[in-house]
Amino acid sequence: MTVQASNLQSEQMPGSTGGSGGDTAKVAGQSPTRLAIGRFRHDKLSMVSFVVVVLYMLAALAAPFLVKFGVLDPTTFHQELTNPSTGGIPYGKLGGVSWHHPLGVEPGTGRDVLSRLWYGVTFSLAIALSATLISIIVGAVLGIISGFSGGWMDSVIGRFIDLTLSFPVTLMLLALSAIGIQLVANILPGNFSDPLPNGAYVVLVLGIFGWPGIARIIRGQVLTVREREFVDAAVLFGASKSRIYFKEILPNLWAPLLVTFTLTMPAYISAEAALSYLGVGIHPPTPTLGNILKGSINYSSADFFFFFTPAFLIMIIVVSFNLLGDGIRDALDPKTAR
Amino acid sequence: MVNYRKRLLAGAVAVAMSGALAACGGGSSSSNTNSSDQPGTAGGTLQYYIYAPFEHTDPQRSYLGVEMTNFSRTVYRSLVAFPISTDPKVSNTPVPDLATDTGTSSEGGKVWKFTLKDGVKWEDGKPVTCEDFKYGASRVFATDVITGGPNYLLTYLDIPTDAKTGLPAYDGPYKGDGQALFDKAITCDGNTITYNFKKPWPDFPLAVAGLHMMDPYRQDKDQGAKSNYQIFSNGPYMIKGDMWNKNKGAVFVRNPNYDPKTDSTDIRKALPDEINFSVGQTPETIYDRLIADNGDDQYAVTSSRVPPSYYTQIEGAVADRSVLVKSPYVDYLVPNFRNMPDPKVREALKTATNATAWINAGGGEKAYGPAESIVSSSVVGYQPNPAFSGPQEGDPAAAKKLLEEAGVKMPYPITFTYPSSDTADKQAAALKETWDAAGFSTTLDGLGDTYYDVIQKPTKDSDVIWGGWGADWPSAITVTPPLFDSRINLTADSDGQDYGAYKSDKFNALVDQAQSASSLDDQTKALQEADKVLGEDTAYIPLEAANFYWLHGSKVTGYMNTPSSSSYPDLGPIGVEH
Repeated sequence: MTVQASNLQSEQMPGSTGGSGGDTAKVAGQSPTRLAIGRFRHDKLSMVSFVVVVLYMLAALAAPFLVKFGVLDPTTFHQELTNPSTGGIPYGKLGGVSWHHPLGVEPGTGRDVLSRLWYGVTFSLAIALSATLISIIVGAVLGIISGFSGGWMDSVIGRFIDLTLSFPVTLMLLALSAIGIQLVANILPGNFSDPLPNGAYVVLVLGIFGWPGIARIIRGQVLTVREREFVDAAVLFGASKSRIYFKEILPNLWAPLLVTFTLTMPAYISAEAALSYLGVGIHPPTPTLGNILKGSINYSSADFFFFFTPAFLIMIIVVSFNLLGDGIRDALDPKTAR
Repeated sequence: MVNYRKRLLAGAVAVAMSGALAACGGGSSSSNTNSSDQPGTAGGTLQYYIYAPFEHTDPQRSYLGVEMTNFSRTVYRSLVAFPISTDPKVSNTPVPDLATDTGTSSEGGKVWKFTLKDGVKWEDGKPVTCEDFKYGASRVFATDVITGGPNYLLTYLDIPTDAKTGLPAYDGPYKGDGQALFDKAITCDGNTITYNFKKPWPDFPLAVAGLHMMDPYRQDKDQGAKSNYQIFSNGPYMIKGDMWNKNKGAVFVRNPNYDPKTDSTDIRKALPDEINFSVGQTPETIYDRLIADNGDDQYAVTSSRVPPSYYTQIEGAVADRSVLVKSPYVDYLVPNFRNMPDPKVREALKTATNATAWINAGGGEKAYGPAESIVSSSVVGYQPNPAFSGPQEGDPAAAKKLLEEAGVKMPYPITFTYPSSDTADKQAAALKETWDAAGFSTTLDGLGDTYYDVIQKPTKDSDVIWGGWGADWPSAITVTPPLFDSRINLTADSDGQDYGAYKSDKFNALVDQAQSASSLDDQTKALQEADKVLGEDTAYIPLEAANFYWLHGSKVTGYMNTPSSSSYPDLGPIGVEH
């Protein structure tokens, strides 16, 4: 599918792939990348989701600094804002919304919800991003090797993929969490209940079990790319295997990788939330979208707004990433356009 | 805390409550005078929802308050029992159950004699004999098989101590070494059983009524560890099948060999035809069902407290089915004396501790009341510990001064270990705030499934440890000595119940004085002194006294939470409309 783009690069056929969105007025000098960007720009939904994703990313990057300079304060208690006779439900409407606390305060503790969510986005995105990168790197390397080598190597990796896919990942994550986190905690600084080992454990397990699907996609791509003349040429010139893998083939895979990336991210963001609900992942007081959501579920009737905000934020980011991924795929491969 | 654990639930006897109902604001408070006060009639099925599985149902091995009261009222009868009453005085005074009276003591409380009633039968129709009582008590000595239960008998019964192990020279009926010594300590003469103790045990009947360790046990039914979930009844009910299912529970049906004439309605009315114990639903599910009050849930009670996030739903008609009572349990912190030898540092920790923030983060005034000692205010002879009186908000500035005086490097790193849950995590963060403000640097170490096993290890790296405890019978002698007497707790492999590895000769001497006192007044005085020593050493920091907030179905009658039921639903007077 998307390999066409890079393939056409050498053949210099400007505009010929342009289906729906291509800028057909100018005939000369349009690279396929620019064509894709052009198509993407015309897709309003994709642009909106792109902007939302960028905003989330910026927010995530800014949060640690905002916390450091005291703009956000996810840990200070304001128990005077909660009512001790109702089980700690905040005074006032919508979970205690006020100028100081635009999204209200947490029941029982009075911690600022906006600050916790904002800071939580940072941790959730960091976990999802790290896990995605691990999955993609492992998946790409094994996919390329498998697709290019063929033969017994392909079979071995293929069966390994089957094996990995057949693991009940969520169950393993839960069952092995105590041992796994301890192992990670022995290597990384911090003890058993610190955020770092717990977060790292989730990243490792998601990353390690998330690559097989990616490897299969990449392998399929490699099977078509390896038949190209430039690969034959490299082989004839006696180029080393690693050179062929990473200098000849990999650059032709960026498009499927980008799409995979934008579709894996949201899956891992929801996975983090789901795992937090099951008790694996970073524990409070360090906020993540998942553990905030977990803490708020019991309040769904007592303090609905407090339950609604984290759920809404997770929904928005997941939907945005998914739409963005779809948009990128459509832009790179106009044949799939609706 | 949501995760109530064994030790916290260890209190078998609920102790006197200074008011059966705690006052509470917000209009959702309930009164004791609701529909459930009508006298019930016999028949129907009672549903009983339990969240955390029981680890034992064997009488000599169970130790949770909820197990004690449920089984006392249904299947396990003993020599004496606590009667049904919300009046602490009445409720904490044992009345005869399988014995004809509440026992006679001689030699200053060192010898106790009981005479058994005639005509009491096991569920298979065989009579309950003196030998059954003797055999039940002997099982306590098999400390390798019969684990988990109270072991007071090991220190009290007149059996010489093996010099090497420090344990009694009798090792239970399975191995049988030293059987002759045991046969001398507990003797049967027809229907009369006599207990001989090494030291005075003036409140022995309270211990019998409060715990199941002195219950009779039929030797031919004993399969050792395999009997852990076996229930062989001599009460008004018996179990359907013969094993309690740890993860499901069990159904109790009427025992055909039970003769109400041998029993008293002051102890058990036995109204429902069946009691269905069902284990495993989360507290949230239980309360979704109880609030909705449909179908079987109308006949339901639970041993799981209302989660704080459900408090606002307990209003209007639902509130009429709710009860808020004080429980006999106190939650506390202990500093680890191995890591915090400096008394100034411990005092700083105490000064900086904000118990109010802990209470509010855990659900507020409905969940907890303030505590000024590790001994519950409902225990006989309670007095507030001067070390912990005054405001409970914590004073970080004063604490900082103490730390500076101690001359330690600040921030002073501490690790706080507690059983993790959504609520507990918030409560721990509340403590961290004032501790950190005072110059500590707190790491929160919330533990999952295994808690007590971890904090009992001498090698733990915790500096501050959470604990919860309730008296086994209404006396402080079941609170401070088991928790802080280093001689019975500290061994090479385990810190026992003394999680902070506290060791004080002064305290131990006062415990000896209390244990050898022949009058309860002398005992109480010595224990009050002992508590003062603990306060001066900051051996513990009291956090709060837990309240119990309950809801029950609309067709439950005679619903009560009494001191004799440790403030859990009392199955003695309970019935259902049908």
